[in-house]
Amino acid sequence: MIEHVASFGLRNRLLIAVVAVLVMFGGYYTYTRLPVDAFPDVSPNLVQVFTVTEGLAPEEVEKFVTYPVEAAMTGLPDVKRIRSVSNFGLSVVNVYFKDKVDIYFARQLVNERLQEARDQIPEGFGDPEMGPISTGMGQVLFYYLEDTTGEYSLEELRTVQDWLVKFHLQTVPGVTEVLGIGGFEKQFHVIVHPEELLRFDVTIGEIIERVTANNVNVGAQFIEKNAEEFVVRSVGLATDIEDLRSIVIKTDDGRPIYLDDVADIGIGGAIRRGVQTRNGLEEVVAGMVIKLFGTNSSTVIAAVEDKLEEINRILPDGVRIVPYYEQKSLVAASVKTVTNALIQGIVLVALVLLVFMGGLRPSIVVAISIPFSVLFAFLLMGRLGISANLMSLGGLAIAIGMMVDGTIVMVENVDRLLRHARPADSRLSIIDRACREVGRPIVFAITTIIVVFLPLFTLQGVEGKTFRPLAYTVALAMLGSLVFALALAPLLAHVMMRRPRGVGEGKRDAPVIRALLAGYHPVVRHFVRRRWVAVTLAGVLVVVGLLIFPRLGSEFTPKLREGTIIVRLTMAPSISLKESTRTTLIVERRLTKIPEVREVVTRIGRGEIGAHTDPINRAEIYVILAPKNEWRSATSQEEIEQVIRDELGEIPGVLVNLTQPIEMTVDELLEGVRAELAIKLFGDDLDVLKEKADEVAAIVRTVRGAADVQIDQVSGTPQLLIRVDRQAIARYGVNVADVQRVVRAAIGGEVAGQIFEGVRRFDILVRYEPVARDDADAIRHLLITTPDGARVPLDELATVEEIVGPRQITREENQRFIAIQCNVVGRDIGTFVEEAQTAIVDRADLPPGYLVSWGGQFRLQQEANRRLAVVVPVTLLGIFLLLFTSFRSLRNALLILLNIPLALVGGVAALWLSGQNLSVPASVGFIALFGIALENGMVLVTYLNQLLGKGMDLDEASIRGACLRLRPVLMTAMTTALGLIPLLLATGTGSEVQRPLATVVIGGLVTSTLLTLVVIPALYKWFSVVPEGEVRS
Amino acid sequence: MKKVFWLMIITLCIAGDVAWSQQKDEHDEPGRTGDPSLQDEHGHEEGRTVKLTPEELHEFGIEVDVAGGGVIRLFLSLPGEIRPNADRLAHIVPRFPGIVTEVYAQLGDRVKKGQTLATIESDESLAPFQVKTLISGTVISKHITLGEAVSRERDTYVIADLRTVWVDVTLYQRDLERVRIGQTATIYVGHRRTKDNGVISYITPVVDETTRTATARVVLANEHERWRPGMFVTAEIEIERFDADVAIPKTALQTLDDHTVVFVEADGAFEAREITVGRAGRELVEVLAGLRPGERYVSSGGFTLKAELGKEAFGEGHGH
Repeated sequence: MIEHVASFGLRNRLLIAVVAVLVMFGGYYTYTRLPVDAFPDVSPNLVQVFTVTEGLAPEEVEKFVTYPVEAAMTGLPDVKRIRSVSNFGLSVVNVYFKDKVDIYFARQLVNERLQEARDQIPEGFGDPEMGPISTGMGQVLFYYLEDTTGEYSLEELRTVQDWLVKFHLQTVPGVTEVLGIGGFEKQFHVIVHPEELLRFDVTIGEIIERVTANNVNVGAQFIEKNAEEFVVRSVGLATDIEDLRSIVIKTDDGRPIYLDDVADIGIGGAIRRGVQTRNGLEEVVAGMVIKLFGTNSSTVIAAVEDKLEEINRILPDGVRIVPYYEQKSLVAASVKTVTNALIQGIVLVALVLLVFMGGLRPSIVVAISIPFSVLFAFLLMGRLGISANLMSLGGLAIAIGMMVDGTIVMVENVDRLLRHARPADSRLSIIDRACREVGRPIVFAITTIIVVFLPLFTLQGVEGKTFRPLAYTVALAMLGSLVFALALAPLLAHVMMRRPRGVGEGKRDAPVIRALLAGYHPVVRHFVRRRWVAVTLAGVLVVVGLLIFPRLGSEFTPKLREGTIIVRLTMAPSISLKESTRTTLIVERRLTKIPEVREVVTRIGRGEIGAHTDPINRAEIYVILAPKNEWRSATSQEEIEQVIRDELGEIPGVLVNLTQPIEMTVDELLEGVRAELAIKLFGDDLDVLKEKADEVAAIVRTVRGAADVQIDQVSGTPQLLIRVDRQAIARYGVNVADVQRVVRAAIGGEVAGQIFEGVRRFDILVRYEPVARDDADAIRHLLITTPDGARVPLDELATVEEIVGPRQITREENQRFIAIQCNVVGRDIGTFVEEAQTAIVDRADLPPGYLVSWGGQFRLQQEANRRLAVVVPVTLLGIFLLLFTSFRSLRNALLILLNIPLALVGGVAALWLSGQNLSVPASVGFIALFGIALENGMVLVTYLNQLLGKGMDLDEASIRGACLRLRPVLMTAMTTALGLIPLLLATGTGSEVQRPLATVVIGGLVTSTLLTLVVIPALYKWFSVVPEGEVRS
Repeated sequence: MKKVFWLMIITLCIAGDVAWSQQKDEHDEPGRTGDPSLQDEHGHEEGRTVKLTPEELHEFGIEVDVAGGGVIRLFLSLPGEIRPNADRLAHIVPRFPGIVTEVYAQLGDRVKKGQTLATIESDESLAPFQVKTLISGTVISKHITLGEAVSRERDTYVIADLRTVWVDVTLYQRDLERVRIGQTATIYVGHRRTKDNGVISYITPVVDETTRTATARVVLANEHERWRPGMFVTAEIEIERFDADVAIPKTALQTLDDHTVVFVEADGAFEAREITVGRAGRELVEVLAGLRPGERYVSSGGFTLKAELGKEAFGEGHGH
């Protein structure tokens, strides 16, 4: 069958050529339209539902908002988990869908159910909305507004941001949301003086009603006049402060009392939960651009930049948009890192070809397989929806060396046969014969490589999303190379390759090969004669590998350096925004002392909802560095991070973490706990939960091996609790709602309509003056009007107390929970969990309805292990079957499998020597290594079998075969290794992820190739099939 | 060969393990307090200290003061209304019913005791007689028009001596116990522009049935007649004034584990010390126990220290 493909290709050369050209053009076309990202998007598939509930405490948010939303979302198809966080004034419900679910479908489902939830949420408690159609990678550009004149107020700047910049940016294709933060949202403030209310005998409720009632436009259809229709409209909207001032609150004895008499009216800032600061000096107004799910980052960013230029021109004089974070640089840098590696790899491979093939023509034939395979991979990537990013392009870079392997074998064989061909044979028939000879091994070799990558497809979660694109592109490129080797290589060989002019022994091989052979021949002879030496050598090496292996450090995935550093501050949960701003400015000032730091811009808390839900005790400082060539105290991101850590030192009252934009955002979206073990205690009563969680934690601490046991901090937010005394209100004939209306409007303020300035609209906020509401005593003195007209101070109707309340309420599976995190040191997690479980059952006295669930990363690991326990043997079996089918011999198959440990040794040694850790990319490297080692083995064994089939003596065949195959084996190994060298040496963005992989493969190739060349011929005798005739048909 | 693949699995697992524990470490930044007893059941303060350098104190605006005595004044703010002093008020009625023939005094005029305000012709004698003011003061009400028939039943003039006015302060039930005759009150109008001091001279013995409030009266000097009857005012009554042995500003107080603490400087470190707080004035608060005079304490900026103490606890939390 396989042979027919080549023959068919040779017979229908035009067709194949046309198809190939089409594929290449298609690939290129797809490439130009491929979404380009920095990294694979590892965000979970989730729909977020945000509800802003101004002024509500976590308990109320949970009860009135979070719960209805959650309840509505349960029972949706393909939902993995629903998790919610109720914070002060904000409810976030995360609905995690299975990865296979289309995001638009998921949103549609959520949206349908959201209608239900809306009905359940009481009026005025907020409207649940879905987050932007984006992912953790969606925050592509952050900017702030620079006011060079210093004349604009923060309200004015924010208005410019919200109504000018945002408006224009939102029209850019691919932008799904523009969120503002910092400064103050402009509002019209009606600051009521309570004593004036008393004087004029009005209530705050009446004021709100009056303001609302005096601010309307209506339409009244039309009238007919002389055969014409006149549309009737009545305009009564307040348009400015003057209009508000002259609203009449009541008329006393014919004398109007204006709003102005009881309140000060002015422009002010809305209550805010976020601040943006800069350079330790000032507050600024900022915004962030969020990209639509699935769009091309680089195109969107470019379009946004163009738009920013335009907007800059129409901004008020002296105001300028300054982008301070752009994902563009990251995308560009990562893509540059891999494309550089790709190009350098191609050049190196081409050089190897030239040297080893000893001729330009065959080298060209082989070299063409690289662009073909790459474009072939692009074509299919487009079909499969894989974006071009660090990992997927990295996959191509890794595969460069392997892409040429099939073709090398093919061309090498053609070349060899051409050299030995009788002049009578037509070139076509020689090539056909050459193809028939090696077609089958090529198919099997490449299939093996693809098969070894299968376990990568089963990786789940973040690793899965990170490395699957790589596995895909490797597989696709290999498939492309297979197509090339079988269909196109013969064709090109026919077109390009000529018979060598002077046929003679001296001209048979390239000089390099001859030199190498001269050295290699005695060695291989030596080993074939003294097989035990070979065995011992292999054994020693394997032992060395086994010895080194435990010494390797390990890490999960090396951190991707995004090139942007964020200093993340966590302050006390009870902190006020003013204090957190003050503290942040201090930290900013410390940072600006570092000479490499050009600018720092900080976001404290959250701005418009959609991207961040941070509370005000959280600040993220974006550190903008000078260009690298101006650095003095550091040369790399790690070093500059250290400089930053040193400069910041310990900051009193502040926890400092260094992170990066994408890393941070993705971490926030990810579900689950970072610790190995998460014990979740579910239950209803927060106090009981807290108490029992402490109990459980205490028990867990006593179990041997427990480390870093930590309970979630759920409390810590001070509250001023106003509890209405029902007896007291009964005496006065007041309703609870009457009291609360005043509490809400007087202290928190109430929006009474809006003022329109063109399309811009600004809320009118009615609220008491600060002295009348800003401390507990003042609040106790708020007057409530009774139905009799008497005024009663609040604390005669209610108790006002200061308590410490929850800082947030987290829920999962419709239940409140507290998580206790824990790591396990020095023992097996499984037994630890068992022991802890029995201990908790025995000793913790959990009330009915409270239950403990065990999760954390160990669960994911267990799942991953279980999956791998199936997948790896299956892969192994698959490879074995492939080998067996290929050779129809158990022994041969085993001999080839022997290559694997030999390859492993080199990989392990290389890691150890280069001081790197075992990590997921290193594991991927090992996987790739297995494939290559197997391929090498197959090439060699196939030929040995052929020689044996020709009736050659076993030893002789081993030596001859090894010598003859030196060239292809060395070539495939060297192309692969050299193809990876650029990745090994790259220092650009993202290189840290590819480096361990390249190290492993290169190291492994060294040992495996050397050993393949000496050990396999030596051991061949024991694994050979008795030469009773045909091994190969 | 299988071993190799199992080795691979193990590799992956180990890689995972270590990675997670490393990530964990990143979050466990050591606090400088290093005191695990913070979550101690009774929240006792052994070793709850924070060390800061003078530079840091300056950088974070933490101020240190020496504890000492002080006068603490407790205030109560209540609404009130300016009324004419009823003790210096004269309702002028005609001696006889009659017809008004002359009106001399107009609303707002200042009149001297004995000054003629109007002339009325008596219905009985048909003789004119003069209506004179009984006191010196200002005409604050006038119900008399030329030609009008007036009777003894109705005031023609109300003359008030506005050199003093009354402030009727509304006393809510809960404030009754605390407000006493003799306490001084600062009276001011809405925006605190006009301000004056007076003394409470009287408190109504009964509480109004509708409003359930009593009235306290402050007599206010009003030489310049800034206070006009009918004005709505706020009375800030000093309900208590005493010397405290230790009085510290309210900004010094911090709450730690449900206890009130101040940060006391000792040996270059700050200790969170639990104190018993007495009565609190507007700015100062009395310390009953826990802080001795002469000790150095943090008078403002203590929040930073409190945050530093609780630092480990406010880690990353959960969910985000």
